[in-house]
Amino acid sequence: MAKPIEDFARLFGAELSLDRSLVARKGNKVFLLGPNLKALVGKGGEWLFAGIYLGKIEGGKFLPSFPLLFIIADRAQNKVVVDDKAAWLFVCGRDIFKEGVLEAKGSRRKGAYTLVLNRYGECLGFGVMEKDLDKAKRGVVVKNVLDVGDFLRRERGERTSEAYLAQFYFVG
Amino acid sequence: MFGKEFFVNRYRLLGWEFRDVTPRQAIRVNTMNVKGVNLVERLKGLGVELEEIPFLRGGYWILHSEFSVGATVEYLLGYYSIQEAAAQIPATLFTDLRGKTVLDACAAPGGKTIQLADLMENTGVIVALDVNGRRLNALMNQLERCRVKNAIVYRLDARKASKLGLKFDRILLDVPCSGNFATDKDWFRRRTLADVERNARLQREILAEAAKILKDDGEIVYATCSLEPEENELNIDWAVKNLGLETVEIECYGEEAPTEIFGKRLDDSIRNCRRIWPDKTQGFFVCKLKKRG
Repeated sequence: MAKPIEDFARLFGAELSLDRSLVARKGNKVFLLGPNLKALVGKGGEWLFAGIYLGKIEGGKFLPSFPLLFIIADRAQNKVVVDDKAAWLFVCGRDIFKEGVLEAKGSRRKGAYTLVLNRYGECLGFGVMEKDLDKAKRGVVVKNVLDVGDFLRRERGERTSEAYLAQFYFVG
Repeated sequence: MFGKEFFVNRYRLLGWEFRDVTPRQAIRVNTMNVKGVNLVERLKGLGVELEEIPFLRGGYWILHSEFSVGATVEYLLGYYSIQEAAAQIPATLFTDLRGKTVLDACAAPGGKTIQLADLMENTGVIVALDVNGRRLNALMNQLERCRVKNAIVYRLDARKASKLGLKFDRILLDVPCSGNFATDKDWFRRRTLADVERNARLQREILAEAAKILKDDGEIVYATCSLEPEENELNIDWAVKNLGLETVEIECYGEEAPTEIFGKRLDDSIRNCRRIWPDKTQGFFVCKLKKRG
């Protein structure tokens, strides 16, 4: 179960090495357990959620959780740092315009996966480079794939990013 | 037996004169997620006016905000939770939570589960139970948003918690209750004494199950947001007399609970419980129990 997650991290130039014995799957959801929780999960019972939620697998696609993005953020090479206005629009589900990018690290090529950080260095989600960043003069440069505003959309019962997310990549 | 006059008269007999109140919105800082972040300054920078809640650590009342405090980046990053002030009290009453096995018996939608994880600094284990699917989804979203690492969630009725085959160091019983008028403007129209008594029976069943799975040196914190003594003092009096539990002195916001309810004399130790009449907070009741030594 760890491989799709490690493959996903690699999209951002991050190397993750998960302890296989602590990765558990429940239905289509994948979790990283601490030793205490692993002992409990082994006892059975109809648990729904345990430890750190890493994401879910649907139709062969891995859909990441936010805790996983935060774990990856510490190790990722591909990151864009955006200004306050771009950060807020991104959290509202919008794409990143060239004008909002303060800094870019790692791959700047079209099609590259990149984390989106605010000026505090906090991970707000991720996207895909829409154009080569160095060639783009203006317009959308990072297509929003998943942002933390998803929590609000879930609370409101709106369509979450998952269906949209699933179009973008295939791992595992 | 129902209606505003009926219930208001009961409150008068318990020593409180009814007045309409609107509790302030409050937040609680998730300390595990804000290391190196000056959250209060950031919120002030967004125009949110805060007042530190004097009887809580990391709790703030929202005095003014031009937008929902549930829609900031800081909220979405799990830096704080929206949690009414009185509701922040129960989890703080446990002693020494680090590394413990804790049961949150009626956990959804998860405000107190997140608070327990924070107080435990993500050590030990929280076993979180609930039965309502929609509320369980809310709980799991909260656990993800706040990056909790030490919780396991089961769809299980608290009255059947012993099925897990575990014994617990700490048990939080934030039991389903009738609520109160301060947070439900239709409360007097919708509630009857029969509702209250039905909830009280359910709460006793949950208390009885908790007593079975509590370790000998364990602690139970029992809380409701009901003002009705059937769900509060009378239930705890019953637990003290029937479940081998005793109340423990606590230091927290609120009044000493009465030991005489509508002419019925209760165990003297019920005074260790705390009753919170609505004012800046909603109505609330809380107490701490342990096995009789």
